[in-house]
Amino acid sequence: MIISSAKPFEEVLELLKDEDDIFIIGCSACAAKLHVGGEPEVLNMRQRLEEAGKNVVGWCIPSAACSVASFDSLVEKNPAIKDAKTVLVMACGSGVSIVSQIVELAVYPSNNTESLGGRSQGEIIPELCAMCGDCKVYYFGGICPKGQCPKQLLNGPCGGSIEGKCEVDPEKDCVWELIYTRLKKIGRLDLLEKVWTCEEITG
Amino acid sequence: MSLTFKDKLESDNFLITAEISPPKGTDLSEALADAELIRDQVDALNVTDNQRAVMRMSPLAVSRALLDAGHEIIMQLTCRDRNRLALQSELLGAYAMGIRNICVMTGDYTTKGDHPGARPVYDMDSVQLLDIVRRMREGYDLAGNVIDNPPVFTVGAVTNTDPSKLMQMMKLRKKAKTGLDFIQTQAVYNTEQFQTFMDRTEDIEVPIIAGLIPLKSAKMARFMNQNVPGINVPEEIIQRIENAERPVDEGLAICAETARELRKLCRGIHIMPIGKHDKTTRILEMAGIRKNI
Repeated sequence: MIISSAKPFEEVLELLKDEDDIFIIGCSACAAKLHVGGEPEVLNMRQRLEEAGKNVVGWCIPSAACSVASFDSLVEKNPAIKDAKTVLVMACGSGVSIVSQIVELAVYPSNNTESLGGRSQGEIIPELCAMCGDCKVYYFGGICPKGQCPKQLLNGPCGGSIEGKCEVDPEKDCVWELIYTRLKKIGRLDLLEKVWTCEEITG
Repeated sequence: MSLTFKDKLESDNFLITAEISPPKGTDLSEALADAELIRDQVDALNVTDNQRAVMRMSPLAVSRALLDAGHEIIMQLTCRDRNRLALQSELLGAYAMGIRNICVMTGDYTTKGDHPGARPVYDMDSVQLLDIVRRMREGYDLAGNVIDNPPVFTVGAVTNTDPSKLMQMMKLRKKAKTGLDFIQTQAVYNTEQFQTFMDRTEDIEVPIIAGLIPLKSAKMARFMNQNVPGINVPEEIIQRIENAERPVDEGLAICAETARELRKLCRGIHIMPIGKHDKTTRILEMAGIRKNI
């Protein structure tokens, strides 16, 4: 899923300071799962904007903001959008971009988009995939160093880790420790022998 | 005619290299003076490349100035600040300026330095950079285009020496496999551990030059243990410095003892003092491995 987080409300208000008659578009996909664009968040946003003196003409929550087909499909969900002068999208950057393509109004984001990650066992895990367009994650036991190593090293760790922790973020395990543990567990340490040459690097 | 660093690598000589830091500014006199302190004492000088991600003068410029002053140079080159275009053009420029030895490394992350907002590059890693050097030696750039007068570098890489770090050992093997003429290591304090490292890397037939950083105080040793990757000063050494009347002298004595031990274990030492080389000659004398004697 796309990991995004909510901008501080004050920032959203600043973005909208010269705007009014706002229509809010949420997203039932990633943003809803991350509680930054589902129904409770959209309703809360509406209330706070109204408390701040803004007129909110309506809202809707498409199944995914990044795949809204047309303006008409938004009208079908809530015709109030026809009265709007401004749209606030509570989704990731893709959602904001798609809505901007189909709506002839100023479109503002309420979230910051951070990475391609996931959520498992109640925990949000950012930066799982670098979206390099050439998936080799199998070689690393399903733990992608392009996504998870700040230096995106494919041939093994840098010399910068201390006590198995990442040079860049000492709170995090060096991804190469995790890759080793995982490949050992599945009996495929041989995959580590592969030398990644320049040709095999894209993106 | 004096032997080049490459000649010496191919000999049985015990090698001594030392680190020179480029200036934060445009005045080369301090770097030249530092190199002068150890003229004829060392086989080559490593010129660092924005070490610890702190912005300094280009190592290519400093290397050329040191070459002009008659020193043998190993120019360091990191993957942090340059994409594949810049790495290759830097290599061509270095060779044209007379630099014949380079040492490649990944490079400390930008957030560790004085420009934490700088965008880190890491387009290539150190193994791939070694591959680039090899291809260029064969007369081709990374895109397969022919290069006129290909640069033929003597090329080194770096490593930590903790043999229990299996992934780092694996990477060292990949570097050796890609093409390496020498290896320079992080500072060694635990010669027993270093012996194990040497045993486990016996299959890598590349000369290994062990790093040395003279300790100045117990505080410095503790700080490095906690903050400098790959450094492990044993507690007994820290105690020795702590109990010494003159901690700096004790640090030099420890460094000389380590150097003497290392002489039995590997092909050379690489001295990287914090600050200047004003004590380096003394360390070499105390260790009994001074050149030209």
